[in-house]
Order: sequence, then C-alpha cells, then structure tokens
Amino acid sequence: MIEAEATAEMLLMTGAFRSPLTNDEPIEHALISAVLDGETDRFGRLYEMYAPLVHGVLLTRVPREEVDDLVQDIFLHALRKLHTLRNPAAFGPWIAMIARNRAMDFHRATRVTVEVDENTAAAKSLNRTAKEILDLIRQLPDTYRETLVLRFVEGMTGPEIAARTGLTPASVRVNLHRGMKMLREKMGVAVTRAATGG
Amino acid sequence: MNDKYLWDRSGEPDAEIRQLEELLGTLKYQPRPLQIPSTLRAGRRRTFIPLAIAAAIALVMIAAGLWIHFTRSSAPPAIQESEAQPGQVPNQTPSQPQDQIVNSTLPDGITGRDVVRKPNLNRPARNNPRYIRRTPPPLTEQELAEKDQVLIALRLASAKLNLAQRKTQTLPQVNTIRN
Repeated sequence: MIEAEATAEMLLMTGAFRSPLTNDEPIEHALISAVLDGETDRFGRLYEMYAPLVHGVLLTRVPREEVDDLVQDIFLHALRKLHTLRNPAAFGPWIAMIARNRAMDFHRATRVTVEVDENTAAAKSLNRTAKEILDLIRQLPDTYRETLVLRFVEGMTGPEIAARTGLTPASVRVNLHRGMKMLREKMGVAVTRAATGG
Repeated sequence: MNDKYLWDRSGEPDAEIRQLEELLGTLKYQPRPLQIPSTLRAGRRRTFIPLAIAAAIALVMIAAGLWIHFTRSSAPPAIQESEAQPGQVPNQTPSQPQDQIVNSTLPDGITGRDVVRKPNLNRPARNNPRYIRRTPPPLTEQELAEKDQVLIALRLASAKLNLAQRKTQTLPQVNTIRN
C-alpha cells in the first residue's frame, strides 16, 4: 500500500509519463502492450497512474461512499475492454470517459441525487467542511468541476491535468480560472445567505 | 488570486487556494490495491485482418496454381509436321525433306541458310496451326473432377475475400468506448 502510494505520488510529481528506456514512446504504450500480451499484472501500474484521475472524475458525479468501489469496477471493465483501445497514448481520456459513462449509469440505476440544497450548504458556510465545498463544486458545469476537483482534491497541477485528460493546457487554464471564479461566487453567495439567515 | 500558483503551484502561494487545497485534500484518492480476478484477462487483439489477408492471398495462389496446372494438362498436343494431313497434297517425298533437296542442288560452301527462300506457290494453302481455333477435346472424368476442385477453390477464395472485406468495413471506430 505504502509503495503504491509512493509510486502514485512520484508519478503525479513528474508530469508527463515517459519510459526510461525510450524517449518518445509513452510508458502507457509498453504497459498496454504487455497487458494485451497476457501480463495482466502490469495493469496494476496503469491503475496506480490513473486511479486519481478516475477518482476525481467520479467524485464530481457520484456520492463519495460509492467512489472507491466504482474506481475498481471501472478499471476491471477497462481491462476487459483494453483491446478496443487503438491509441495507447489516449488511455487517460479513454478511462475518464468510461468513468463519466459509469457515473451516468449509476444515476440511471439508483436514482440517487447528489445535488445539495444551497440554503443547507450556506447554513454552515463560515465553518465549511470539505464535503460542503465539494457539494458546491458539484453545482458547477461539468468542465469546471472536473478540473477543480483534480486540482484541489487530487492535487494535480494544470499541466498534469492536461496530460491525463487529453485537454489542451490552454483549456485547462481557462477551466481553472473560470471554475475558481464561479466557485468563489457560490461561496460568496453562501456566506451572504448565512450571514443574513436566508 | 495568484494565477501562477493556481496553475502549477509555482510562485507565491495564494492563501485562499492553499486553504481549499488543505480542506479538499482530505478527500484525496487513497490508494487501494486493484483486485484482479484470476479468471479476468484482457481481451485479445483483433488479429483477424492480417490473417484474413494472408489466407486470401494463399487461396488465390493455390487457385492460380491449380488453374495453370489444369490449363497445361488439358492443352492439345502440338501438331507434328510429319503427320499426314488428310486431303493434303504431298509436295515432297517423305524420305527427302525440302531442305535436303535444296542443299543437294547448291554449290559447295553455300548452305541452305544463305539461300533466300521464295514462297512456294505450288504448295497448297494451309492455315497456320498456331492460330487455328480448336474445339477443346472432351474432358475425362479425372479432368472434370480437377475442374470441379478448382471451381470450389475459387468459390471459397471469393467467399473468404468477401467476408474479410465485410469485416474490415464494419470495424468499430477508433477508440469507441463501449460499456
């Protein structure tokens, strides 16, 4: 567990993943080829690298207590469908899309709503918990909330988010700034409502 | 708000962003080992396209080989000049060919090759056997069986090629995500 955590942390700090042996070929390419050739245990490395991304994507869409199990399910599904991935460099966007689809399926199946009443959130605005801020982020448009969660929850930097999601750095930068602005407005609204008792 | 710090955590830390990081960081992904069932394997790569192409090429080559073999074996035997043709008027004695006759009248040192031959107008007109259209002789039972085999092989090759073409045309799009 500690080793896996250390590896994930190290990978998050290094930005773009590159194989130590080849300069041009992403490490995903070698890992995916190995997995498709029968070395299923190599999939664990991909899991370590991309689990934070999937976790972040799910956290913006499904209840927190469901996220961990769904992360596992999504990676097992990805392992079964790995042969359909034509471009190994697109593993990040591919698995993020699987996570988004799975989150939609979850809501279709369970009919659980994760939206939070703004007044309820505002009542404790001065002493916010992480859960409450996450609920405010969930009220933002999809593009902003995903980027914000990856930045603040998963601790990725802008370039890392771009590398994993397949978005351009410029798009991520815009999403971060606009998302942050909207979040601040939401928090401001919440603070005002709490102060006025409304 | 410090834009640089929001972007890549460089520059002077922004107090508000630091607070958000600390607060939301508690929800961060906690690594868990992935439990892969022993029965679960990655799906196989789609290798049918190169296989189909190789099989089609092999079948075409076999069919072409059989066809060449069949056409050679069923070709009519070459017509021999010495054979007596019905209705043909002999213009030379069989034991003494024309060249020999010509050579016998030539002076010493001059061979038949040096003589410019003139067309023999007395010779009866005869079609060049090279361009004669012959009706093929009736096939024997063995040849008929071989012909059937070639036709079956060609039909098989055609069916395989059609199948391969259909499969390549109905391939899923690149990186199509299927749940």
